[in-house]
Amino acid sequence: MTIASRVGDPEGKTSPEELLAAAHATCFVTSLGGELARARTPPERLAIHCTITMDEVEGMGHRIVSSAISARGVAPGADQASFAQAAEAADAGCPFSALIKASATVTVQATLEEGS
Amino acid sequence: MTDRTANVTWSGSLMDGNGTIESVDSGAFGPLDVTWAARTEDPEGLTSPEELIAAAHAACFSMALSHGLAQAGTPPARLDTSATVTFVPGTGITKSALAVRGTVPGIGEDAFLEAASAAKENCPVSKALAAVPEITLEASLAS
Repeated sequence: MTIASRVGDPEGKTSPEELLAAAHATCFVTSLGGELARARTPPERLAIHCTITMDEVEGMGHRIVSSAISARGVAPGADQASFAQAAEAADAGCPFSALIKASATVTVQATLEEGS
Repeated sequence: MTDRTANVTWSGSLMDGNGTIESVDSGAFGPLDVTWAARTEDPEGLTSPEELIAAAHAACFSMALSHGLAQAGTPPARLDTSATVTFVPGTGITKSALAVRGTVPGIGEDAFLEAASAAKENCPVSKALAAVPEITLEASLAS
């Protein structure tokens, strides 16, 4: 891990922000699995992408400014509305979402896939 | 601006299902399996969101401290940092405990503690974790 690979081309090296993206995606996916199970529509499969953005903020140096989550899934018995509702509840319930919202923007996009 | 992306999949319910950190865009790691039981009980060789946060925090802190020490004219020869993140199911992430042991030619204990304290306050991951109830720091120089 180096400063150059952290802010520029990663060149195969991870970074604190990439580790946080993996943490947030994992935290969110467990929350979403839990919410869908609670709604009696446990997922067959969920796929989460999470992108963490770090930017230089004037007067504050480098800051993590956002975490963008995109969730796709197959959940028999769920419809688009209930899937979106579960994703919203997952965001509210995921401990890492709760933390990072104090200093950054969290967005969630949820799409129920065919096969449900 | 820097974007870093991770891709994770999950199958089944929370308690009985399992997930995989399939990949990260840098290609540095993955696939890594994750389960709820491993997250909250014995890890049995599996990682967890909290362990990844710990790795992120330790790495971010080390970079910030290294940078601060270099700017003060005392670049470190070596920093050994650990971060321990505490997760309480139902409550959330309650603590991140940083510990650093440094080999820094030409520096006194006080100056090292001051630099470590500044790194703890200002590194981007500390800022992102500002809502964690407790972030602690132990810093010492290797003799």
